[in-house]
Amino acid sequence: MAAPRKTFCGSPDHALDRRGFLGAALATGGAFAADMTGLNVLTQAALAGELKKKQRRCILLWLAGGASQLETWDPKPGAATGGPFRAIQTSVPGVHISELMPRMARRLSRNTALVRSLNTRNGDHGGGARLMMRGRRDEANIRYPDLGAVLARELGQTESKVPDYVSFYFATEGRDFAPGAAGFLGSRYAPMELYKSMIPENIRKLDSISALDHKERADLRDFLTRQFERGRSSSTLASHNEAYQRVRGLMACDKLFDIEQEPAKMREHYGPTQFGEQALVARRLVEAGVPFVRVARAWWDSHGQNFETHQELVPELDHVMGALLDDLEQRGLLDSTLVITLAEFGRTPGINASLGRDHFASAWSMSLSGCGIKGGAVYGKTDASGNRVVEGEVGAAEVFATIYAALGINPQKNYYLGSRPIPLTDPGTKPIKEVLA
Amino acid sequence: MALANPEKLKVVTTLSRRDVYFSLARVPRSSRVFLGCSDFKVYEADLAQPKPDFKEIGAHNSYVTGVALHGTTLLSCSYDGRVIWWDTEKKAQIRAVDAHQKWIRRIIISPDGKRAASVADDMVCKVWDVASGKMVYELRGHQVKTPHHFPSMLYASAFSADSKLLATGDKVGHIVLWDLASGKEVTTLEAPVMYTWDPVARRHSIGGIRSLAFSPDGTQLAVGGMGKVGNIDHLEGKTRVEVFDWQKGQQTHLFAGDKFNGLVNQLRFHPQGEWLLGAGGAGDGFLLFYDLKSKKTLRQEKAPMHIHDVALNEEGNTLYTAGHNKIVVFDLKG
Repeated sequence: MAAPRKTFCGSPDHALDRRGFLGAALATGGAFAADMTGLNVLTQAALAGELKKKQRRCILLWLAGGASQLETWDPKPGAATGGPFRAIQTSVPGVHISELMPRMARRLSRNTALVRSLNTRNGDHGGGARLMMRGRRDEANIRYPDLGAVLARELGQTESKVPDYVSFYFATEGRDFAPGAAGFLGSRYAPMELYKSMIPENIRKLDSISALDHKERADLRDFLTRQFERGRSSSTLASHNEAYQRVRGLMACDKLFDIEQEPAKMREHYGPTQFGEQALVARRLVEAGVPFVRVARAWWDSHGQNFETHQELVPELDHVMGALLDDLEQRGLLDSTLVITLAEFGRTPGINASLGRDHFASAWSMSLSGCGIKGGAVYGKTDASGNRVVEGEVGAAEVFATIYAALGINPQKNYYLGSRPIPLTDPGTKPIKEVLA
Repeated sequence: MALANPEKLKVVTTLSRRDVYFSLARVPRSSRVFLGCSDFKVYEADLAQPKPDFKEIGAHNSYVTGVALHGTTLLSCSYDGRVIWWDTEKKAQIRAVDAHQKWIRRIIISPDGKRAASVADDMVCKVWDVASGKMVYELRGHQVKTPHHFPSMLYASAFSADSKLLATGDKVGHIVLWDLASGKEVTTLEAPVMYTWDPVARRHSIGGIRSLAFSPDGTQLAVGGMGKVGNIDHLEGKTRVEVFDWQKGQQTHLFAGDKFNGLVNQLRFHPQGEWLLGAGGAGDGFLLFYDLKSKKTLRQEKAPMHIHDVALNEEGNTLYTAGHNKIVVFDLKG
């Protein structure tokens, strides 16, 4: 990548952005992320202001390993490729999904849209996961931020005490295929990644330090900082100070991760599985203002015994997803929270000798629920066997444009690497308007 | 009568098919078989013919996972939850019963022809009167959920030769023996190695008891499945057969395979108990022959396909198999 430029490029568009930024910077006391190395942040802060006020949020249910579209959103009962499961009528007339998802079938029309025509052309776990987490492939000299980092940037609050991007991925399989990646946005937007413990480790105040001691230490550090800052101006210094502010915020929010804070009835609502518990924490987080939470449910890679695997995992998904949507709706959060199910790819219509399905990126499905989504919409169509898309083919770019549009973000908005504009999605990419409210 | 010698095993007929055949029942003293298929249909075929005609008997609404025959009465079961009685002469349905709330994995008929048993993922074994179609018992001895809160599955069943005992085996390796006269539980056995729960990498499970067979004298119960699996994306566990002296509750034999990976879907004792046959597969299929007297594996042979069901003739020297895209007849005459 070329050496980063931190100077104003001089274009009229950016001049407007700079004026906006100056106002925003004053309003926030000048505190902003300063470690977005290479990113001309002068163009961004004010633009995001309006969106941030809307408090839009996103929860990604990441079905790692590749859930089968035939056993979830796009069943083909009776076809040689269809497998043994039946399709059931949903609350949307004429729309059927797998019998393994009765809860989602009942509530499909309320908040959920399906896209049944993904052709993402990458059947490799790593490549597919990076593509579907970032919306496009990295270039030789550009590392793109993933969805969580972009939404942390666009929807996060500068003064927020909570993390902007939290990712739960407890299973070890596939975790390294698409770790949270802030790309060129820099580490300010990197995720808080939780691998083992529901509650972030090492954020609690030591018992040996009293609350008063803790506060006085912070006050002392602030005093010394103010002394040091006199006559100095440095992005490194700003970043250093913000890091302390954010640590204090995180230390104060550890209870958000603790489901023991929830009534037993609510915990039962989500169920006893790890996936259910993490979805409940995700709800707690978005309710507290965290803009993006990924809950990875691994591992769906059912090369052998596909139907047994989906007998286990799809009912769990149906329960947890339904519980999450119900809970968000009852709290009045679903209109402002987008819930996505997505994976790196789907699974082959063909059934192998181990009664498994293999990797398949040519014709698969996803769902979008809640914020900005037209409930009951079904976009795209595959053929009778599920082998190819026959209507409405879309790729990762269109998926990301749709997500951004649903959250009120212009998919063609530019970031800047030096003077080079980097649109959120490739030029000309259109959101799937049929699923947007 | 030609002897049955596993060393002489050879393929005599291979029929390639588009679909997967999950179940097979043979008409005694003939080469006629009834087959349950992934196209939801039940077929009849004479495997002695050079190009057998697959005559459709009828259909279910999902995979046909079990067929069992007594005289001219054929019972079929399916993932659609139904058990259907067929008259094989009239090629007509006698009755259909919505038998289970979830997938039916297998249906078998007792050697005396009086009782049938269906096992399903509602974790219930239902015993039926073959002649009348009435349910005799509803046997509940298996947990509905695994210890990890996921739905369990009830895969396997077997009658003893004297038709007095019934065994059922589930996903987590729990086996129950039932007294057919009373419908009461006789004893339980455990084969937990057949079940693999992966708590770290993939957080789901694979395996389960897939086959059961009583020895001809009824003293031993063979249990088939797959050993512990590292990567549960695939059927990567080694074949595994355990044999129990069920009255003592002791495992007497362990045949942990060293050649093939995959599930032992079927177990059959030679009619005179000379050997025990295991059949199944993963990506490929296999046939396994065990000598219980010497506790040795006699032969482990690759099969042309993943085998889902088998039938031996009365002498035990012809083996009919059904599986993934193929139906194969083997000769063991020695």
